[in-house]
This record gives sequence, structure tokens and C-alpha cells, in this order.
Amino acid sequence: MPTNRNHLTRRALAGVAALAIIATLGLPAVAQTADRVVIALDPPSTETNRFWTTSGGFGGIDPAFERLVGNDPVTGAYDNSGLAERWEVSDDFTSWTFYIHPEAEFHFGWGPVTAADVAHSHALHSGPDSTLTGVQSLRGAEIEIIDDKTIRFTFEEPRIDFDFANAGRGSLYIYSKAQYDAEGLEGYDRQPAGTGHYQYVESSPGQIVFARVEDHWSGFQPDFAELEFRFTNEAATKLALLLSGEAHAANLPRELQDEALADGKVIISSQNPGKQVVLIPNGLYQSEGDPAHKPDLPWADIRIREAMNRALDRDTIVDAIFAGRAEKLVRYGMHEPHEGFAPELVERFEEMYGYDPERAKELLAEAGYPDAFPDPVIPIISTVSPGSPEYPTLAELVQIYFEEVGFQTEIREMDWASVGAAGRGRAAYFINPVQNSPIRPSNVALSNTFLPTGSPYHGYEDDRIIELTNEVNRTLDTEAREALIREAFSYVYEQYADMPMVSLAAEIVVDPEVIAGWTYPGVTSNGFSHWQLIEAAGQ
Amino acid sequence: MRRFLVIRFLQALLALWVITIIVFGLSHLTGSPIDALLPDDASPEQIDNLIRHWGLDRPYHVQYLTFLGNALQGDFGESLKWRGQSALGVVLQRLPATLQLGGLAILISVVVAIPLGVMAAVRKGTTLDASANVIALLGQSLPTFWLGIILIWVFAVGLGWLPTSGYGGITYMILPAVAMAWFQIAALTRLTRSAMLEVLDAEYVKLARLKGVPEWQIVWKHALRNAAIVPLTYFGVLAGSILTGSVVIETVFAWPGTGWLAIEAIRGRDFPVVQTVVLVFAVVYLGLNFIVDALYAYVDPRIRYD
Repeated sequence: MPTNRNHLTRRALAGVAALAIIATLGLPAVAQTADRVVIALDPPSTETNRFWTTSGGFGGIDPAFERLVGNDPVTGAYDNSGLAERWEVSDDFTSWTFYIHPEAEFHFGWGPVTAADVAHSHALHSGPDSTLTGVQSLRGAEIEIIDDKTIRFTFEEPRIDFDFANAGRGSLYIYSKAQYDAEGLEGYDRQPAGTGHYQYVESSPGQIVFARVEDHWSGFQPDFAELEFRFTNEAATKLALLLSGEAHAANLPRELQDEALADGKVIISSQNPGKQVVLIPNGLYQSEGDPAHKPDLPWADIRIREAMNRALDRDTIVDAIFAGRAEKLVRYGMHEPHEGFAPELVERFEEMYGYDPERAKELLAEAGYPDAFPDPVIPIISTVSPGSPEYPTLAELVQIYFEEVGFQTEIREMDWASVGAAGRGRAAYFINPVQNSPIRPSNVALSNTFLPTGSPYHGYEDDRIIELTNEVNRTLDTEAREALIREAFSYVYEQYADMPMVSLAAEIVVDPEVIAGWTYPGVTSNGFSHWQLIEAAGQ
Repeated sequence: MRRFLVIRFLQALLALWVITIIVFGLSHLTGSPIDALLPDDASPEQIDNLIRHWGLDRPYHVQYLTFLGNALQGDFGESLKWRGQSALGVVLQRLPATLQLGGLAILISVVVAIPLGVMAAVRKGTTLDASANVIALLGQSLPTFWLGIILIWVFAVGLGWLPTSGYGGITYMILPAVAMAWFQIAALTRLTRSAMLEVLDAEYVKLARLKGVPEWQIVWKHALRNAAIVPLTYFGVLAGSILTGSVVIETVFAWPGTGWLAIEAIRGRDFPVVQTVVLVFAVVYLGLNFIVDALYAYVDPRIRYD
């Protein structure tokens, strides 16, 4: 017996020792320095330090770089917190002159920011290998370096939104020409010098680390000495990173947020709505003579489009999918701070678009659905777009609502790029979701949405809206533009050109014991910006 | 023996060539990378530039032959997602992480499964045997991604013993390696057990017992040596499964190896990287199977062609 007892004791001790070893090995990995804030995010679509070869969304190196035009962290309005301390535009909007902050300077001793750096960066970003969104608004400029700190862009035609092109969702990071001259593009790949509040330290697959710039030219110093992005695709892993304390913030899909909140984490939202979500009855290429026009599509009939809108209980959708933290969207592309806001559309929303399944059924009967259509089935796209994990659930819920009023439907699973490919091929004959993120200026939103040269994810076109949008883009007079944009919004509203769903703020879930607050306006593609304003708890 | 090896080698080359056709065809059938790379509002000029730049305007057979010719020289093109880097460079940069993780998973599989299978056979019908069967059943029926998440939840979030995810030292490798190894432990345990049961019933084992050879020697030296041929043939499959399993496990654990790379490349339609990953996997898989075939022929002369 004593032998057996000794044997058991030895085995128990060995077990405890093994657990102790695992625990000891694990401790350093879990512990984090309080000076480093770790944020778990979705991986960027393109991983490179050459911003102009990305599509212009969140590129990972954002904290190290600045643009010419800044955004107010609360209102999102353009301000001089970027590299330009002021700018002037000619009356005809063909000439933009930027005056660079005298104190602005690059990281790693690459010297002050000059007009030559801006011209060099412009050349990179508007060059033939640029894949940036909005690159068209940079191209065609004649550049004049007035002096070291002043640069003028002159265009042949008006560029009303050149400030947008140079602000938060813009397409132009300012890189150092001196670094390029000395090290070439390899220098940017190795250690890109920006002017942001954080400077690039290192990156490895799945991770980028930045360090605070001491004595930043703006005079502002972030609370955290280091900032780290940890990239992971798997939402459950991001939640685990946050709950285990390895990350202090994570952009979690809404269905996982409750679990984080139950653990004492809190949500910090952008100060303004960061995106609008809409369902597009795509494939309506109704311009005169367009060979892609299919008049026998069910949703080519305005009564069918109204019925689709009437079938949707948006209040329930907001609660079920967006956890109640969303506003019902009235008109896609319309945003109160921007041009052409039409309050009457808001007032009439319930009357025009309110949930009314009985009216939807009447409309279907009036339209002769399904018998009057050769193919009455409504294909609804279930897809995943970066930053919009809700799309598949939205598709399923919409299918239920549609079928309740008598629509025949089918869910088609399609990856996001294929939806775009169908649009580019002018064969997007289905219902698909899309987002306006960030909420663009009204004329940009109209052009993206309704012009054949706009986004392929949209497919409502007719001669009237194309004419109105082109007229908006040609018009410089403020009052006339206001009236035209309002007319355009009202027209597509009356046409039931789409199914407006929600307006959403960007959200990030944080550990309040580490992060006390973060003020960001929601003006970038994924909504996050102003990394220097992440406040450390207990400061 | 030499003829056998030559035939096997030629078969491996043929398989590799067929794989290049399948990989090239499938990666192009899934759509153009243009749609994944360019922004929503890309102009026709941007689209044309990129199509020309990547040679996507040429006929498929020309693209394939160019791809094959370049691949033979080790040039798989430039990555579309990791700009400024070659596809092979991106894959080779990530390969050590996968080999590290896969190596540990194989080690865990062998160290756990072989003794467990042997002991289950030796103590057939006992609690140990039943436990081994339960482990095998669980291992083969639990999805690895689910097991991975559960391991994270228990050992990283709940107990805080190990990190949840990411790349680092041995502590970062334990959970993904266990998740990856679990299925293999199940398969290998069952194979070892059944092979050992057969061998332990053989006449020479009975003779050894009659001659008074110690039981541990009979089991671990004489029986296992003869039973090992079955798990040995499984080793090629095991290595292949570890590689393909890395796609799921590396994604769950954000382990920056070729598996995670493959998923990222597929999402970004970075077909030069997708093709490179698959071909590297294929080469590794075929290479390991070639080695296993050679070993098998060495161990069992009956299967040699000559």
C-alpha cells in the first residue's frame, strides 16, 4: 500500500508540476504593458505601406500618416488639424491652394513637410498604378509649387469636392520625398515616414506596431506610448482577445457585443453616423436605348418596388440585426449636414415607406404579380462585405418579409467582388445590399449611385436622374446646387429607387479599465480615425 | 527498388502537372482579381491599366503557359494583396510558421497516439481501451474550428494560462497544435490499436512469450516494430492533413502561416499567392508521400515492382 500511495503522490505532483509549467509559460504572453494599447481589427484588404496601391480603405498604417485636410473629431467638419493650416479655392472651384503648417515635420528626421512632398505624394497617388478610390478627383491637376509651404492645384474643370479628396476618406497620404530620394520605395516598405501622432515601428504578419511621437509638431501628445493593431478574421477570436485582456479594443460584430458587454466592456461609437445601408433593386438600366435594360424584371415595375419597401418592418430589423443601435434611413446618400437635405422626405417616410404588408399585397395584385412576369422570383444576394457582417442575416430577414406578402424569392450566396463584377458587366439582376461608408458629400453619393460610371453595386438608372446628377456636378452656385440635389433626392424617393435600411455609427468595444474614451467622427471607410485621441484610463 | 522509385517519382511529377492545371483553372474561374482589388468607383481607365498590368487580357492558355514557364523558374508572379512582394516570397515567409505548428502537431499526434494505441491493444476491453476509443471517437467527430474555439475559451479566456492567438513562442503554439493534432491522434490511435491487435495474436509473439521474453519487450520491440508499418503508411496522409488543417486552425488562431495566408489570398483573389500556396502544399504532400512510399518499399519488399 505505501508503494501505491507513493506512486499516486508522484503522479499527482507530476500533474501539478505540468500545470504549473504551462501556467508559467503562459503568463508572459497574457500580460500586457499598460503603455501599449492593443486593438483587434479585421485585416486590411491590401497589406502594404504603399497606400496608393490599396483601394483607399483602412490601410493599417493610418496612425502614422496625415492628409492635407483634417476632420474635427466631434463634428467631422473639415479643419486645419491636417497638414494644411489653411486653404483657398477660386470662385470657379478650378484652383485650390494649400498652405502647409510651418511646424509640420516627418518622422525619423526626414525633415519638414514641404510643397515638394505634397507634389511627390500626389504623383504617386495619381499615377498609373494607383488603385485608390476617388483617384479621379486627384488626376488632371496642374501643380504649382508657390513656395516651400504653398502648393496650388489647378484643374480644367471645377473640383468642388477637392477638400473631401484630401480629408479623412480622401486618397492622399503625404509621404516624404526626401526619404524616397534617399531610399526609394523600399524605404517606404521598410520604415515609412509619415507625420502622424504615432510613428511606424514594425509590422509582421497579423500585427503592426506604432510608437508615440514625442514632441509631435502639432503639440499634442497621445496618452499611450505604443499602439498595436492585431489583425484577425475570426470574430470569436477577436472577442477572446478582448476578454482575455490581450487586446484592449476590438471591432466586434453586433451579435458578439453582448458577451463583451456582460464582461464589463463598453462600446464607444463614432460621434456621427459612419455609414448608410441600403438594399438595391439592381439591374434597372433604364436609360433610353441601354441594351442591358430588362423591362420584364419584376422590380422594374414601381409598384413592385413600393411593395418591397412596404413589406419591410424596419423597426424590427433595427432591433433584431442592429441591436437597436441604428436609425432608420430615409434616403440613401442624403445626410443632414450635407447639401440638399430634404426634411419633407423624413416627414413623409411612414406614409411612403412605412411597414404595411396589406398595402404591399394590394400593390402586388395591382401589378399582376406573379403571373404578369416571366420570372417572378426575386433573387436576394447574401454576401459578406468588409465591415458589414450583418448582410447575410439581413438577406434572410428580408426574404421572410418578402415571402410574407407573397413574393417568390431565393437567396443567392455571392462573394462581394462577384457582386461588383456583375455590376461592371451590367448584369446585376438581383437585390443586393450596399453601404455608403463614410457618408459622402451629396453630389459624390449621387454620382456613385445613379451614374452608369458610378459604383457597380448600384443599378438604378434612368434619363431623369442621370440628367439631374450631371446638372448637380456642373453647377457651382450654392443655392442652385441645393435645389438640384434636393430635387434629385426627392425624385428617386418617389421612384422607390431602393430600400433604405439604416444609418449606423461605427462602433468599437473597449476595456474601460484601459481605455477611458475615444472621440472619433466616423469619417473614414471603417469609421475609425483620430488614434491619438484614445484616452488611457486612470490618467 | 530503383525502378519502383523512378515510377513513383514520375507519377508525382504527373500529379503536380495536373495540379497546376486545376489550380490555374479554378483560381481563374472564381472571377477576376480586378473586382477584389479595385475600389467600387474604379474608372474604366483604372480597370484597363490593371488588366494590362497583370496580363489578364491575354487568352487563358497563354496565361497558363506563361505561369507554368515562370513557375518552373521559381517565379510565381507578384502578389496582388501584399504589394511589392513576390508570391513565392510571401509564401516562403509564412511557411516556417506552418511547418513549426505542423511539426508540433505531428509530434503531439505521434507521442500521444502510438502509446495510446499500443496500450489500448495490450489492454483490450479495459477502461484504458474504452477511453482510447472515446478519444478517437471525439477526435474524429469534433470539427477542428469548433475545438479550436473551445480550447481558446477554456485555456486562454477562462483559465488565462495560454495566449488566445497570434504568433510567438511555444505558449502560442500549444492550443493550435493540440487542436490540429486531435483529429490525427484519433486516426492514428485506431490504426495503431488495430495493427497491434493483429500482431499480438501472431505465432511469433506467442513463441516469444513461451520463451520467456519480458512482456514489455514483446510489445514495444517485437510487436510494435511489425505493427508500425500501418501507421507509417498513414504518415503521408497525416502530413497532408496537417497542411490542409492549417487553413482552418491558423485562421482561428490568427497564426500567420500559409493556411491563414491562403484564406486571405482567396478573399483578396490574390491568385498568384493562391496558386503558390497550393503548389507548395502539393510539393510538400507529394514529397512526403514519395518518402513514405520509399520507406514502405524498403520495409516490405513485396510491393516493389521488380
